[in-house]
Amino acid sequence: MSFRAKVFLSITGTVVLAVWIVAGVVSTTVTKSFERREAQRTATLVSQFRREFDRRGADVVRRIEAIANSDAVLRIGVNLSDTAQYYSEAQTLAREQSLDFLELVAPDGSIISSAEWPARFGYKENWLTQPVDWKAQGIFLRLEALADRPALGLITVRTVKAGDGLLYIAGGQRLDKDFLDSLPATEGLRLQLFTDFEFMPAVAAPLIQEVARQPREITRTTSDATTTAIPLFGRDRQLMAVLLVENSRAELASLKNYIQSTALIVGFAGVLLALALSFWTASRVTRPLRQLASSVREVSGGKWDTRAAIESRDEVGQLAQDFNRMTEQLVEQRDRMIQAERVAAWRELARRLAHELKNPLFPLQITIENLQRARQVSPEQFDEVFRESTSTLLAELDHLKTIVGRFSDFAKMPAPQVEPMDLNQIVNDVVKLFEAQINAPGRPRVETTLHLADNLSLVSADPDQIRRALRNLVLNALDAMPQGGTLAIRTQNLDGKVALEVSDSGEGLTPEECERLFTPYYTTKQHGTGLGLAIVQSVVSDHKGTISVQSEPGKGTTFRIELKA
Amino acid sequence: MKRPYWALLALSSFVISPLASATRPRYGGTLTVDLTPAWTTLEPSESEALTPLVVETLVRINERGEPEPDLAVNWQHDADRKRWRFSLRSKVTFHDGEPFNATTAAPALLAALKKRYGEVKVTAGGQTIVIQSERAMPDLLSELSLSRSAVFRKTEQSALIGTGPFRVTKWEPGRRVSLATFDDYWNGRPYLDSVIVNLGSTRTNADVFDTPFASARRILPERTRVWSSATRELIALKAANIHPLLLRALALCIDRGPMVSVLTQRRGEAAFGLLPQWLSGYAFLFAATPDVARARQMLSQLTLSPLTLSYPANDSFARSVAERVALNARDAGINLQPVQGVNGNVHLVRWPLESRDAASGLARLFATLGISERPESLYDAERTVLDEGRVIPLLYLPAVYGISPRVHGWDAAQKQGPFGLHLENIWVEP
Repeated sequence: MSFRAKVFLSITGTVVLAVWIVAGVVSTTVTKSFERREAQRTATLVSQFRREFDRRGADVVRRIEAIANSDAVLRIGVNLSDTAQYYSEAQTLAREQSLDFLELVAPDGSIISSAEWPARFGYKENWLTQPVDWKAQGIFLRLEALADRPALGLITVRTVKAGDGLLYIAGGQRLDKDFLDSLPATEGLRLQLFTDFEFMPAVAAPLIQEVARQPREITRTTSDATTTAIPLFGRDRQLMAVLLVENSRAELASLKNYIQSTALIVGFAGVLLALALSFWTASRVTRPLRQLASSVREVSGGKWDTRAAIESRDEVGQLAQDFNRMTEQLVEQRDRMIQAERVAAWRELARRLAHELKNPLFPLQITIENLQRARQVSPEQFDEVFRESTSTLLAELDHLKTIVGRFSDFAKMPAPQVEPMDLNQIVNDVVKLFEAQINAPGRPRVETTLHLADNLSLVSADPDQIRRALRNLVLNALDAMPQGGTLAIRTQNLDGKVALEVSDSGEGLTPEECERLFTPYYTTKQHGTGLGLAIVQSVVSDHKGTISVQSEPGKGTTFRIELKA
Repeated sequence: MKRPYWALLALSSFVISPLASATRPRYGGTLTVDLTPAWTTLEPSESEALTPLVVETLVRINERGEPEPDLAVNWQHDADRKRWRFSLRSKVTFHDGEPFNATTAAPALLAALKKRYGEVKVTAGGQTIVIQSERAMPDLLSELSLSRSAVFRKTEQSALIGTGPFRVTKWEPGRRVSLATFDDYWNGRPYLDSVIVNLGSTRTNADVFDTPFASARRILPERTRVWSSATRELIALKAANIHPLLLRALALCIDRGPMVSVLTQRRGEAAFGLLPQWLSGYAFLFAATPDVARARQMLSQLTLSPLTLSYPANDSFARSVAERVALNARDAGINLQPVQGVNGNVHLVRWPLESRDAASGLARLFATLGISERPESLYDAERTVLDEGRVIPLLYLPAVYGISPRVHGWDAAQKQGPFGLHLENIWVEP
């Protein structure tokens, strides 16, 4: 993980954590405050409901008493012999007194007239004829039967003497949505009244059913609302209805959303700030380091004279200063090494040239001295000696010419003429070329083993140069096995490349020898020019290939060439 | 009352003391009649209550259901009852002075009878009119007694010209019709000078006013008496495509007694047959008592679904009856929802009884139901219809009028016929 990423994560984490904690604390505080206010609002509304309930109840009692004392009812009480004529009386009286329910009931409990359900005349209302002090009973809730469905009403009953019995006047007003709507509206607060405990909205059903089972005030809170269910009882503590006070939590949800969105925005801004800070900090801290790292990479790439910029006096600046000092020393050392290597190379070249030229020069000197001596000592044999000496001189001069030619060839190695070629074919050609030499009588036995890959890919190379390189390697291998051994040549397909290995079972090389093996004019042989392997390396290099050597003393040597297919 | 004596009678009534004037007929005065319907036409078939005042028919059916002469004095028919010959009353004139004879009566008769019998030929000759058809017309006399077969003419100047005791002097559609006595009425001049009929009225201060059931005219002025006609309307339930068992159960659970006593204030009658007792003479055979337990037992075999009971729009009495029926049905476990309109599973209908002839009345009801029966099998057909519950009779209703104390001779005058108002023999105090 980069330094910049670490800085970024640290700042971001700090900001986000701080925002999360603040948002959580604010949200919790707001929720508690809201719930306190919610409870107060519910209590206020329920109180208003009860006040309105009492007010309407008193109003209903007053109206029913007015009806009970009216001439029309007194007339009915006096003449109950023919109740049919009073069929629509209740409707008229209810209309006059603005009542939703009104029934005039005969002493035997049969309905004389019904305002809410006129068709029920003659049906019995036995609950009225029970021995009850109706005046003391006051107002009560009752489900009144209607043609379509029962309706909840604020009911009161009064009686009027009718002969030996009583004429019952039972009436009241609906306790329904209109009643609830008459209460002062409070935003976010909703009142609902349920009288049917079988068919009700699925949302409210569980709460209402729970209240129906255990008639007591119950409050439930969901994500949408806090709902308080209040049981409403009729006479004899019979559950008549359930009043639902639904306190919407939309405002709270909105507030929470606002807090969350604010926290998100602040968090996001914090992340952006962290990003900016991390960039700024990282650039302040890591730019010199990155510049130093870049300088290091340049040095490792060979540009030893690279200098790191020193922009501060802190640890990084000190490091850059040390780095510059180090590169200066490296350059100085490299220059010294190059100089030493050049001197060593010239010395080696001089040694080789001296060595190579010294060998043919000595016979030349001996032959010429021998020729001078023959002219002086035995002129009669001079001709014969002259003939032999000139022959020797010419042979040694050829030898010198050959040596010079080799050096010349190395110096003017031509550019490869590339064409698709079969490396196996080159191997076979070269092995055939050396067959006579390998199998020459008197020479220790060298066993040749070929491991040539089938379907070897063609390589783009100059066949003559590759053949020459392989020849040098085979010659080198044979020279490494003066006592005989095994010469193994392998080819194989690699991924996009072709490999050629030439192994011998000779004495092998030391690691130091391996390191200097491809240096021109370096040889481990007494009569080598030190150019064979240098030529091989030059050929392989010209073909964009690689050559490596693997050897241990006593275990032979393997040269491996890899060329692009 | 013969015309030569009317002036003498008027004179005598003038000199007799005011106390005596309350009991003896007197000529003169205007009678105001307030009716709730707001008719926009005076067609006899539409404004039935007014028909007897202005127009007359060839024959009328008496209380015993027998045909009597009216504008026709006698008649004969062939054996197949395809050809009828009527001798018309002489010395009868229309309100505009045109003589009543076969030629002037034929057009109205032809138009009316064509609606009933299709191809009918009416031949006029002097005071004789011949009615002929390709098919038998056994109920022709009953048909001719109906207001829709009344003899009348129309001109551009007058809405209706008949031969009745009163002539139309002013016609304000939907509001008022003013009638004046027809001095040349063939049966003697009526006592009244004029009659003002206010239409669409709910007042109770007129001399005569109708009090439809469930009307607002509940509280009547002092000394106003209530008069009911013979029952002349059937209220029934009509059903189709409902399981017969369900209909029979519905018929069983309906308690007509409270409907009669409360909804009709005892002026109606419980209906169990299609025709009232006074008309058919056998209605008592269909009488039954409600049996909710048996209805429930019958329904236990069925899977019940909610039904609708439609009743005529803007008919508060029909609505009251429908709601009571629904309440009775609920006791038996039938969910019957009253709705306004005509498309309910069960429909509450009001069928006017237009004829004093039972067979004719029954045939007319069957025609409404789309049933065609021969006269001799009408009773069996009625029994079948009732047993199947296709029609569940509920109530027979009379026409009810409030009569001011200044109106005299009302009861006797209405004996002229059960349908429409008969005012020619009533008189009023000044």
